[in-house]
Amino acid sequence: MSNVWLPCGNYHQNYAEDHGWWQTNFLKGKMILLLAVVFIGIPLVADEYWISVCSMIGYTAMGALGVQLLIGYTGLLTLGHAAFIAVGAYTSVMLILQFPWPQFLVDWGLAYPISIIMAGIAAGLWSVLFGLPSAKVKGFYLILTTMAAQFITVDFILTQYVSQIGGRGQAFSLPPGTIKIGPWVIENDIQIYFVMAVILTLMVIVLANLLRSKPGRAWVAIRDNDIAAEALGINIVWYKLLAFFVAGFMAGVAGAFWVCNTAALSPEHFQWFLSLWLVGVILIGGVGSIQGAIFGSIFMVVVMELLQMGVIPLSEYYPQILFDFAYIKDMAFGLAICGFLIYEPNGLAYRWWQAKNYFNLWPFSY
Amino acid sequence: MKKGIFLKILVMFLAVAFLAGFSTVAVAKKIKVGGLMDTTGATSDVGKDYAIGMADAFKYINSQGGVNGKKIKYIWFDYGYRIPEAITKYKMLKRLGNIAIMGWGTGDTEALSPTVNKDKLPYVSASYSAHLTDPKKTPYNLFFSSDYSTNARSAITAWFDKKWPKHKDFGKRKPRFACCYMFASPYGSAPIKAIKDQAKLLGFEIGPDQDVSLFAIDTKSQVMALKKFKPDVVWHGNTTMSVAATVRDAYALGLGADWIINNWGFDENLPRLAGKAAEGVMGATPCAFFGQNYKNMDLVVSSAEQYSPGVPKGKRLIRTVQAWGDALVLWEAMKRADKKGVDLTKKGCGPGIMKEGFETMRNFDIGLGAAPISYTATDHRPATGCLIQEWKGGKFQTVEAVDLKKRWPKLWATKWLGW
Repeated sequence: MSNVWLPCGNYHQNYAEDHGWWQTNFLKGKMILLLAVVFIGIPLVADEYWISVCSMIGYTAMGALGVQLLIGYTGLLTLGHAAFIAVGAYTSVMLILQFPWPQFLVDWGLAYPISIIMAGIAAGLWSVLFGLPSAKVKGFYLILTTMAAQFITVDFILTQYVSQIGGRGQAFSLPPGTIKIGPWVIENDIQIYFVMAVILTLMVIVLANLLRSKPGRAWVAIRDNDIAAEALGINIVWYKLLAFFVAGFMAGVAGAFWVCNTAALSPEHFQWFLSLWLVGVILIGGVGSIQGAIFGSIFMVVVMELLQMGVIPLSEYYPQILFDFAYIKDMAFGLAICGFLIYEPNGLAYRWWQAKNYFNLWPFSY
Repeated sequence: MKKGIFLKILVMFLAVAFLAGFSTVAVAKKIKVGGLMDTTGATSDVGKDYAIGMADAFKYINSQGGVNGKKIKYIWFDYGYRIPEAITKYKMLKRLGNIAIMGWGTGDTEALSPTVNKDKLPYVSASYSAHLTDPKKTPYNLFFSSDYSTNARSAITAWFDKKWPKHKDFGKRKPRFACCYMFASPYGSAPIKAIKDQAKLLGFEIGPDQDVSLFAIDTKSQVMALKKFKPDVVWHGNTTMSVAATVRDAYALGLGADWIINNWGFDENLPRLAGKAAEGVMGATPCAFFGQNYKNMDLVVSSAEQYSPGVPKGKRLIRTVQAWGDALVLWEAMKRADKKGVDLTKKGCGPGIMKEGFETMRNFDIGLGAAPISYTATDHRPATGCLIQEWKGGKFQTVEAVDLKKRWPKLWATKWLGW
């Protein structure tokens, strides 16, 4: 059944209508407004710093969407997602710097866009490799196999071999003007923001579509009861691996986006804490919801930035706070997760859903 | 009800933090300098003392009237050696109107370098990577110390000059050399190409590198791998904690090689952590150790006592002195630029600080045992060599002050810039 509250008198006649994107004009208006805010409002209003914060939110959300698909929709616990982001980032950089591109592709600004797609495919396939154990194990055991992805990929392969390519290694630095999309050289915060906004929008559309299609229903069935799903004829190994591929693909694209944000790369960018952070994001945002991944990303990035702002005036009176700030930040991260698990286990997405419902019936809510 | 209280507290806290953060944007006009430090992350074993030293130095500078009468507002953040965090924090510092940044690690400094160039913001780092010394590529990156590659070349040269001739196999075979460092760390890997180039120049046989994490507390497998190669001298490019662990394990397993250490792994804590194993360990010292007898050391020590009384003097390290070194060169550059009419209270004064400040320095002495500092528009290598010292008989003793420019003037001028 649709999760959209329809105005009285509107009835769905078939499944296609039930799963339609634009079920009411009001909904269509809200989506257009949201896109206008993202693509016009924020770039007009926000200064360079807040634009860069939005780009960080987008990067976090791109990673969190993949984690959401695995944990929230398929029930596959993962703690190694940073590895797949790293694979995407390195694939993109290696292709940009090392691949002998035909000159016309470089001139037309297609090298980076192609590298983004290739980064997604490489990370997706790499993710499938570490998803193979999911055919046999689940729960805590799967967490351990996905954690292995982090250590094998980042600490071993990328550090010892990949980042050695091209001489000094470790820190690939992209010369200015290297990242180009069509005629635009991506070099300032606003351009990076637009790249993020386009990629994230596409990701949300693709994932939302996948979730209302056959694979999406199979993933949810596996999450709810994998034995029952198998009994219903769902090839659970295939769909689990498909989930790993899609999640890995999104992580790879996130990694390729990260490259245009930093113009430099080293294995230190993809520490294990990033994987943990992404799980925290979906726990706070709401497990099993695309909106949850976005809300969680906004909450985590913005709260941390606000904490930082709060620390500046306090440091005048209590200088030690500057030394302890990273601990305070980690503590805030831990407290936020504990707080949400205890007081709002359904996350921010549930609160959003409640607010929407309240206003849907307002002023006659009863 | 409980949910409501939780949410209210959260919202109130966020509102206060938000307003407080914005309120700082509107402080009285001062020269704003930002800082990115690591007091809790992978390099906090050396970063904490550096951060304390930097805060002391700016307090001292303000007590002396700041920059020609204008006070400095120094705001810094601990980024926990997490590079994504360094990037957002840098942007926040820029937004707050800082006209120069005191940076920390090699990974984040190199990652931020393209942004720093674009923003034209002088970035004085604790990373002394030689990759930051070529103004054609990194025109706004600076530091007071000899760079890591100069440290590494000087260290292996000093060992070759002073230790190898006393070896029983001298004249019979080539000396054997290997490197230990964290491969994933841009700091650790920065001078490796240079030191191997120097080893080849001096006629060493080079063995396989060993990956030692910055967090390592057990390095026996790496030491066992080194034993197969039987090196005469090993370069360690990490920070003190993991250097001490390796030196200890090598001593216990009888590796029998001498150690040469990069500056961030060679401080007063090394003999404390490594004990007897530290005897004879050599390292690059770009400035004096804390409390050593140099012209301006009294200022460092008295400021440490006055501004950071919570940290016992006996626990202060060379890192404090290094922080002062970076703060003093920025102070000098700002004073020079200010005298030339550059408005340091306004954004966009970076090119002025570079041209009228840093790049006018010729053999500037900070009075803390560092080599005289020069920057030009074409070369940001501050020093042409490095003092190599060893821990012997319970104190640091000079092995050799190597001047690479004097010994290899052509290579120094034409080949070694920027790596």
